[in-house]
Amino acid sequence: MSAPVSAAGAWMRIRGLTKSFAGELALDRADLDIERGRVHGLVGANGAGKSTLIRCLAGVTSPDQGSVTIAGNELQLGSPKASERAGLAFIHQELNLIPHFSALQNMLLGAPKVTRFGMIDWKRSGVAARAAAERVGIRFPLDTKVSELSVAQRWLVMIGKALTRDASMIAMDEPTASLSEPESEQLFAIIRDLAAQGVAILYVSHRLEEVLQLCDRITVLRDGRIVSQAERGALDKKGLVRAIIGHAVRTPDERDRLAADRSRQPIFSAHAIAWKQAVKDVSLHLYKGEVLALGGLVGAGRTEFAHLVAGLARPEVGHFELDGKRLTVANPSEAVEAGIALVPEERRSQGVMLQQSVAFNINISTLKLLRSVPGFPFLSDAKSRRQAESLVAHLGIKTPGVTARIAGLSGGNQQKALIARWLNAGTRLLILDEPSRGVDIGAREEIHDAIRALARSGVGILVISSDVEELTLLADRVLVMREGRITGELTGADITEASIIELSYHDAHDDQGEAA
Amino acid sequence: MTAETVPMAKEAPRPRKSSWKRTALIGLSRYGTIIGLLLMVLFFSANAPGVFLSRANFLNILSQASLTAIIASGLTYTLVVGEFDLSIGYVASFVGLIVTGLMAYEGFPIWLSIICALALGAGIGILNGLLVTKVRINAVISTLGIGTMLTGIGFTYSAFPIATGIPRAFTDISLGRIVFGLPNPVIIMVVVLLALWTVLNKTDIGQKMQAVGSNMEAARLSGIRVDRIKIFAFATAGFCAALTGTLLSSLLGSGTLAAADGYLLDAFAAVFLGSATLREGEFHITGTLVGVLILAVGFNGLSIFGAPTHFQPIFKGGILVLAVGMSALARRYAASA
Repeated sequence: MSAPVSAAGAWMRIRGLTKSFAGELALDRADLDIERGRVHGLVGANGAGKSTLIRCLAGVTSPDQGSVTIAGNELQLGSPKASERAGLAFIHQELNLIPHFSALQNMLLGAPKVTRFGMIDWKRSGVAARAAAERVGIRFPLDTKVSELSVAQRWLVMIGKALTRDASMIAMDEPTASLSEPESEQLFAIIRDLAAQGVAILYVSHRLEEVLQLCDRITVLRDGRIVSQAERGALDKKGLVRAIIGHAVRTPDERDRLAADRSRQPIFSAHAIAWKQAVKDVSLHLYKGEVLALGGLVGAGRTEFAHLVAGLARPEVGHFELDGKRLTVANPSEAVEAGIALVPEERRSQGVMLQQSVAFNINISTLKLLRSVPGFPFLSDAKSRRQAESLVAHLGIKTPGVTARIAGLSGGNQQKALIARWLNAGTRLLILDEPSRGVDIGAREEIHDAIRALARSGVGILVISSDVEELTLLADRVLVMREGRITGELTGADITEASIIELSYHDAHDDQGEAA
Repeated sequence: MTAETVPMAKEAPRPRKSSWKRTALIGLSRYGTIIGLLLMVLFFSANAPGVFLSRANFLNILSQASLTAIIASGLTYTLVVGEFDLSIGYVASFVGLIVTGLMAYEGFPIWLSIICALALGAGIGILNGLLVTKVRINAVISTLGIGTMLTGIGFTYSAFPIATGIPRAFTDISLGRIVFGLPNPVIIMVVVLLALWTVLNKTDIGQKMQAVGSNMEAARLSGIRVDRIKIFAFATAGFCAALTGTLLSSLLGSGTLAAADGYLLDAFAAVFLGSATLREGEFHITGTLVGVLILAVGFNGLSIFGAPTHFQPIFKGGILVLAVGMSALARRYAASA
């Protein structure tokens, strides 16, 4: 695989690609050139048309107009088979791997099989896969079951799978969303390596720094149109943000951080919490008015800690206090009754009820307040509607109406609805795990404003985020966790991306969890 | 590159400009089952006006439908919470046997026998629910296991039909017409369905059931006690099965082994027909009633036209596959159009 980077005429030429859904243009006359051997970044807010473009290339969506030529040959649009034959591979965020199959089986799934007497000849089929595994630097044995692999290793399997089929272009959707910093770095090295070998990479991400650092060329989509294309170095982060949303966002230094009054009783405290190998001797205090954040790498024990607080598991050692009272919760419903709510990391699988309406999703945790007559379990439609409408207005949730299905809303608006769920529920402590994952940059800012307003109104806020930039934008105080322990505390001007990252890799054995 | 400031993309409100084709397809997917029901009624009315189109025959259809409607509505509850109950037919048969046994062998008064029978049904439902939620046995396995056991226990209790010693007043329950000259089972069906509809759509517990069925993890994190909600759904299914079994014994005038086993398939057919009615693939009481009526009208028409009885299962299976398949196809076209 050593296709030269062609100088004249792009390898893949996308011309006038247009697609509308129900009369709305999702993609509007997109022209794009893709070269082998280069990393192409594709950015844009949710609904800007990135996924429509990718889906058209993958053959899962048929465009209304436009053409794609690959190395001079016209690609038959609307056929996944034709796209695969043309050497296009697509890796989606939800990696399509079969957990019970080995890495090798997964890599060979759907690939042309080498058979002997009608049986798969695993040894010979494996040759191509092994070569591919070598190219992406897979070090674990290929007969390991995928369920035993980390997310990063699964990505390698997916890339290996694409290479097994001789892919000449690999499109990746948000690859680093669940990867830790070193894992991301490792992935970037592999991506650069693949590009050097002549593979075209189409890289879709909300993480702009990453895109700026990694991509040779960046294409920005907005409202279905390509609004900007820039070579590496031609665009800085501010320019990129402006192109994505059409206006500038505040920078961290423009906002004030609240220094909470620590002489008062904390809203919430954890005392020497330990659970399995994931959480070790974690103590912290959360004060009124502040946004407290837990930073650190994926797998540092932050989500597990949140689950312990929310009653999904019980700590083996230690205890929690809420408003000075010792807390005993055995399950999430007791936690909710006590005033502790969790907005989970996995929005689709643990947060929203997709087939239900926006009002249903917002009201589900406050049904008691919506009864026609207190004491009788009958609900008042008018009260339900009123509560949902006022919360939709309060948080600026963009929806055609409260009776619309939540599935039709963008990720950011779904996330706002999940926050709305707890605003009237008497919540004392709201834990938000990765509150802006998969949310576009404009909605992220609105979510941050809502979280900060809640904190200022006296609700305890504990944010977990792997997005270092988000921590600097949102938190008044950051506790960094590493391998189950708190390794440091940052306040005020000390909250910088550099300091958080430094503490994330800080050796926990040097000074153990002295913070907070 | 462009640097103009354009306001943020309006994400959610998308006015749907729908073509007539799209509208027609959506209509077909939502109202297909109801249209099918009306077409059947029209067809039978036109071809057998004297027999089909009469008050007596309509009441006959309704009273046949009522037992199925009651058991199918209970089943709807378990499907709403994302579970399954394959024991309902066996529960109905078993309870139908026990209720006559209590009167004939134990000498219980009618009212006490019925209360015991319904409590027994609800109890079996709770047992099913506990097995599914606390022991975490797959619902298909646990309800099939319990159902099969009930068949054996029923046989142990009485291998022969219990036909003697049943008070006349008991059989009068299903034969009588106390309100508006309507058969009592129809009145009971109306009351039960109204109650189940109200609970599902207008109360806390109904909303919680729908939440559990939509996304169990999300429901749990919203503070809903998922296990209790599921057990409640199973208990309701057991109760409704027991009610159907009791009414069937009253109708037959005897308690017979395996008498109500066939209701399992009828109920499933009706509930799935119903899930393709008015909403897209959701289980709900109104839909279930429509499904039951389709089956009842169909059976009735078949017998009027003198079709052999073995046509019934062909019709039952066929209409289920046809109706659900058509609505699924229509939905897919509607989505892509």
